Amino acid sequence: MQTRRAPLDDLQEIVGTENVREATAEDAVDGVEPSLVVEPGSTEEISAVMKLARSEGLAVAPRGGGTKRTLGNPPRELDLVLSTVRLDEIIEHVPGDQIVRVQSGVKLETLQESLAEANQILALDPPEKGATVGGIVAANSSGPRRYKYGTVRDLIIGITVVLADGTVAKAGGKVVKNVAGYDLSKLFTGSLGTLGVIVDANFRLHPRPESARTVAVEVETPQAAREAAQAIVHSQVEATAIELHWSESAKLLSVLLESIPAGIEAKEEGASFLLKSFGEVRTLTDEETDNLGPLSPPGEEDEVALKVAAPPAELSAVLDSVLGAAERRSVRPRITGHAGTGVTYVGLSGGEDALVEVVEEVREIWVRRGGSVMVHDAPTSFKRKLDVWGAGGDYLGLTRRVKEKFDPGYTMNPGRFLGGI
Amino acid sequence: MERGRLIATMQEILGPQGVIHEREQLRTYECDGLMNYRVIPELVVLPESAEHVQKIVQTCYDEGIPFVARGSGTGLSGGALPVEAGVLIVLSRMHRILEVDLENQRIVVEPGVINIWVSQEVADEGYYYAPDPASQIVSSIGGNLAENSGGVHCLKYGFTTNHVMGAEVVLPDGSVVHIGGGKVPDAPGYELLGAFVGSEGTLGIATKITLRLVRKPESVRTVLAAFKDTQEAGGAVSGIIGAGIVPAAIEMMDALTIEAVETQVAPGFPEAGAILITELDGPEAEVASQFDKVIEVCEENDASEIRIAEDDEERALFWKGRKAAFGAMGSIANNYYVQDGVVPRTELGAVLKRISELSEDYGLRVANVFHAGDGNLHPLVLYDNDAPGEAEKAEKLAGDIVFVCLEHGGSLTGEHGIGEDKKKYMPKMFTDDDMNVMQLLRCAFDPHQICNPGKIFPTPRLCGERPGPFHMHPVQKAGLAENF
Amino acid sequence: MTERNGGRNGSGDGSEDRYSATDATERQNPAGTPREEAMAGAIGAGSPEDIGQSTRAAGDSIQQTVGQGRAESGSYMFPAFDDHHPPEKDLIDDCVHCGFCLPTCPTYVLFGEEMDSPRGRIYLMNKGLNEEPMNDEMVRHWDLCLGCMACVTACPSGVQYDKLIEATRGQVERRYERRADDKAFREMIFQLFPHKRRLRLAAGPLRLYQRFGIGDKLHRSGVMGRLPARMRAMEALMPELQKEQKIPELTEPVGEKRRRVGVLTGCVQQVFFSQVNSATVRVLAAEGCEVVAPKSQGCCGALSTHAGREEESLNFARKTIDTFENLNLDVVVVNAAGCGSTMKEYGHMLRDDPEYAARAKAFSDSVRDVSEFIQEIGPVAERNPFPVTAAYHDACHLAHAQGVRKQPRQTLKQIPGMDVKEIREAEICCGSAGIYNMVEPEPAAELGERKANNILKTGARVIVTSNPGCMLQLQSSLKKMGHGGLPMAHPMEVLDASLRGEPVETLLDA
Repeated sequence: MQTRRAPLDDLQEIVGTENVREATAEDAVDGVEPSLVVEPGSTEEISAVMKLARSEGLAVAPRGGGTKRTLGNPPRELDLVLSTVRLDEIIEHVPGDQIVRVQSGVKLETLQESLAEANQILALDPPEKGATVGGIVAANSSGPRRYKYGTVRDLIIGITVVLADGTVAKAGGKVVKNVAGYDLSKLFTGSLGTLGVIVDANFRLHPRPESARTVAVEVETPQAAREAAQAIVHSQVEATAIELHWSESAKLLSVLLESIPAGIEAKEEGASFLLKSFGEVRTLTDEETDNLGPLSPPGEEDEVALKVAAPPAELSAVLDSVLGAAERRSVRPRITGHAGTGVTYVGLSGGEDALVEVVEEVREIWVRRGGSVMVHDAPTSFKRKLDVWGAGGDYLGLTRRVKEKFDPGYTMNPGRFLGGI
Repeated sequence: MERGRLIATMQEILGPQGVIHEREQLRTYECDGLMNYRVIPELVVLPESAEHVQKIVQTCYDEGIPFVARGSGTGLSGGALPVEAGVLIVLSRMHRILEVDLENQRIVVEPGVINIWVSQEVADEGYYYAPDPASQIVSSIGGNLAENSGGVHCLKYGFTTNHVMGAEVVLPDGSVVHIGGGKVPDAPGYELLGAFVGSEGTLGIATKITLRLVRKPESVRTVLAAFKDTQEAGGAVSGIIGAGIVPAAIEMMDALTIEAVETQVAPGFPEAGAILITELDGPEAEVASQFDKVIEVCEENDASEIRIAEDDEERALFWKGRKAAFGAMGSIANNYYVQDGVVPRTELGAVLKRISELSEDYGLRVANVFHAGDGNLHPLVLYDNDAPGEAEKAEKLAGDIVFVCLEHGGSLTGEHGIGEDKKKYMPKMFTDDDMNVMQLLRCAFDPHQICNPGKIFPTPRLCGERPGPFHMHPVQKAGLAENF
Repeated sequence: MTERNGGRNGSGDGSEDRYSATDATERQNPAGTPREEAMAGAIGAGSPEDIGQSTRAAGDSIQQTVGQGRAESGSYMFPAFDDHHPPEKDLIDDCVHCGFCLPTCPTYVLFGEEMDSPRGRIYLMNKGLNEEPMNDEMVRHWDLCLGCMACVTACPSGVQYDKLIEATRGQVERRYERRADDKAFREMIFQLFPHKRRLRLAAGPLRLYQRFGIGDKLHRSGVMGRLPARMRAMEALMPELQKEQKIPELTEPVGEKRRRVGVLTGCVQQVFFSQVNSATVRVLAAEGCEVVAPKSQGCCGALSTHAGREEESLNFARKTIDTFENLNLDVVVVNAAGCGSTMKEYGHMLRDDPEYAARAKAFSDSVRDVSEFIQEIGPVAERNPFPVTAAYHDACHLAHAQGVRKQPRQTLKQIPGMDVKEIREAEICCGSAGIYNMVEPEPAAELGERKANNILKTGARVIVTSNPGCMLQLQSSLKKMGHGGLPMAHPMEVLDASLRGEPVETLLDA
């Protein structure tokens, strides 16, 4: 496939010479190398870049920290990477209203540090280091805290986007409660850069928890893991996260409890009491807690990383299906998961064809039961053998129509999304 | 399609009991909870199943007939206002609870199920459904979904959109899709469900809705505090939020509201310039400690009286007083216009001051009751319909209040939706580009513009597709919109 | 323009109208049933009254429908209303269209249509005031209203729907020409039920009918199935007849005399449930009352009032006042919910009659439901244990219309050993509603079945309720479901049994 050449001069005129450069192999997405990387510094610049890209018929991929590069199918084409690295401002933080407005290029760590000064947090804890706010929204990244706080869609209250034709639009606002107009913030969440470029987003914040403890129980079987997780889920303990760690060396269900100092002991006691019928229970030290991560495998060298979504009460069935399929094909699994919400991450190593079979088998089981299996990281050769998304549901036609309205020219990240969109 | 044939077609789908076509009966459907706008629908149909809905919508699509969906008809923005020469699809007979799955904390219901039934269904098991708009004893889940309803507990628990997990939707072209994972999180693809919730019935009709259930908290504590005025009470709210406490509910009422409520309901509220009702829930130890802090903050802000609810009965009494506020207005005025606006909480003081200034300018009283935690206000403009010109003045004052909200960084509506009523204000909050982009979504769902047309956006964006086999879009014909 | 005070005290002429459905005692009392309170507490959603309606949806598909099987006469009147007591615009304007009445309205619960909800009916009245004619359609929906007044209890704006529907029904009776058979049927009812002697005459052959099992024969032969719905409904409602007990004109109090009270013996109550009257008199006497039951008393006019037969109802009212007013009574005690509710309304009904207005008001002020009265004076007689699980059914005209909910429950709970169960969907009418179960048999049957199901779910061994109409309706519904043997009793029958130290079996086997 021929990468189209973006007109360097025109781009330089928009963003300045120093903010356009030739792409390198590092900028490739699943083996597809763009020609240029542009770094606009404002909404106006982004809009102008997109207009240009559209008129030149270029394929554009927005990029923040580049941590989501592995998501999605290999792109059909990629000519230009639009980096948000210069959109690095925290626009407004109003602690009294518990909201923050932030540009999409701000790294989450940076944002959290800033919010911490007012004792607040953005209740998102995806594992990828260096991820930007824009990328997190576009990929709907989440971490263990989603159990208590929800995911991006539950925290985002406003957004500004630039469409493929350069149109700048905003939706939502800076108040938590807002039902004026359509909720485009949600539409763009998880859209993987296929509908437009996210310029900035507004979020609702939460108070920073003062005390935390992690209680863990050693579980020997998938069934025990499930029962333990369910025990916490259906209790009144109000845990912050329930995480599963399953590997050869350790099989553990850990429960993160957060509260004010006056309330933490009671939570710890409550959780310990509930968990002890399922295995040995202990409260983890800080060091042990730190060593538990990363809680979702980002995918080592040749590992294929899956995300299995199933009803939370089916945890043991998920484990059984993965372990069974893996064993039968001599594939080595590493499993972690947000046990309270039904999301399980699996890292698989083995021969590529065996891996494909494992994923197909697991996918077939869980799609039949209303769930999904998404490959969120794999070598390109693997991706060429198996669609990372799966078939999708009966809403595929509608999905396509949405895409065609927002990006009729298929400028944005063509080919990477569900259904080859 | 000629009317007689339409009636016959619908009767064939639904049986005669499902079709209302006599004038007097149609008139009872000409408005929802907002009486200011009335349109007599051509026909009212009452489906009893998802299949019925699909067939009705299919017929409308094939014949190019616009339609509007309606639940209990309690909306306050005219979202269920019928469209001229259109069909009103009333979902009140689709009222079954289809499945309860406590293990996965989900419940699947038909759209006509009343909000409170959901909580009642699972109460014995120790669960409930968190979004609790004041209308919850009568508003339907379908309606809640369309408006993304809130309630007094939404500061801590979120809104309807945070509790709807999946939906079966009949799209305006009659096709059926299942969006959102239901029991399963993170369905691949776009967040179509997130965009659908709160779309005010303009993108399709939900025929099965999967909701999330929440475990009842271990402990609930409620305190009522009286203050000299709303500014002081607002200071207490700031203090509570600033202390890192997220109350389950925190509501404020001003003097005029207190007066009305005392007259009508007599819950025994103290006389005060403002009353703050704060409720905390969660694990016992946490709540106990935070509750003490709340009381401390109230005292620091010179609360003239602090009442802790000793038992469920007393707590129920506090809330009854708050929830009766709208209805109670009838006892101190002949008519009232309830406005819905939202501002950042930190701007509440300034906005309330501005509202009282406006009230003086207009010579009309305004009672305020609001969700102090999230800045969602419900100013109640009191007037007398029989006094000439007062109704118009009241509407204008209500509009000005909304502008004040916008000026202070707020929004046009926190809970009630845009519907018919606030269309005209949309350009104050959004640019043309903003609205055009939003309408791209509408075009994807409803290219022929037959699904609750005319709501939300002041100027419809024609989707570039030829609508039906029959005629030019009336707005296009009138030269008011272009095909773009 | 009506004076807007608390908005609650009705007629707006400034006078203290003792009777006002919207002044219902229970509305000021936020506490609902224990389960409701607990629920309200646990989820912090608000007052139990918000959640008190535990109404569920009708599980099955809709049976009754608009325009089907309806007696349409084609009568047309424009304007809909004339000047004599039309539904008042001011009262109509109180309705803000909020819809809170919908989930509690039995016909909305059954049909799910706006026109058969209080909000819709008020809307039709409003349209009738100057826009729409009175025709079959309008009348149909007003006729389908049960007059249960659950909506009055639920309304947050204090709309006096009771006054509105009464005025409307009066207009309908005078101005709408019913179809001949409909008219004849209604006439027959009103020629019979308010007249004790005629009822007694009918009771005779009725006993024979029952003794010889004629009903069963008609059922088995299939003839019953072919009779018109209304006839079948009436047949099904007929109770098992007992020998009528006579009530003495004067009964002395037991022990110290605390009050001198009159009792209304009623029509259906006296002919079909005279044992309730006997029990009532005994209880009152036991609580220290001198009880006067004038022989000359007739019908209180409740059925006529609720059906909008204005002249007829006013005549009954006047006669009743005449009978009771000069007997030096402290209060007039009523043991039938429908009757008590109407008698408390006499002041409002006769407001236009210069000769009776003041007397009627004074009379209404003196009327008490018997449970209400007992709790008011405080029980003194010794109650013996009466261990039985009972389900208490709120008659609409006691709970919604008079706001008397706590007192009958208290009366029962004061009996040692009584386990009083709450019935789910308590606020929904059983379908009796005066003559409703005779003129609108289909929705009445559905409501009866619904209520019977809810009652059976309580597992109670006896049903206790304060209204003969409810008793007939519930008996009929339970019988249809094969539970015809479930005993029913009035609270006074239960209390009487307890005071006399009777064993539980006497009530259960009665």
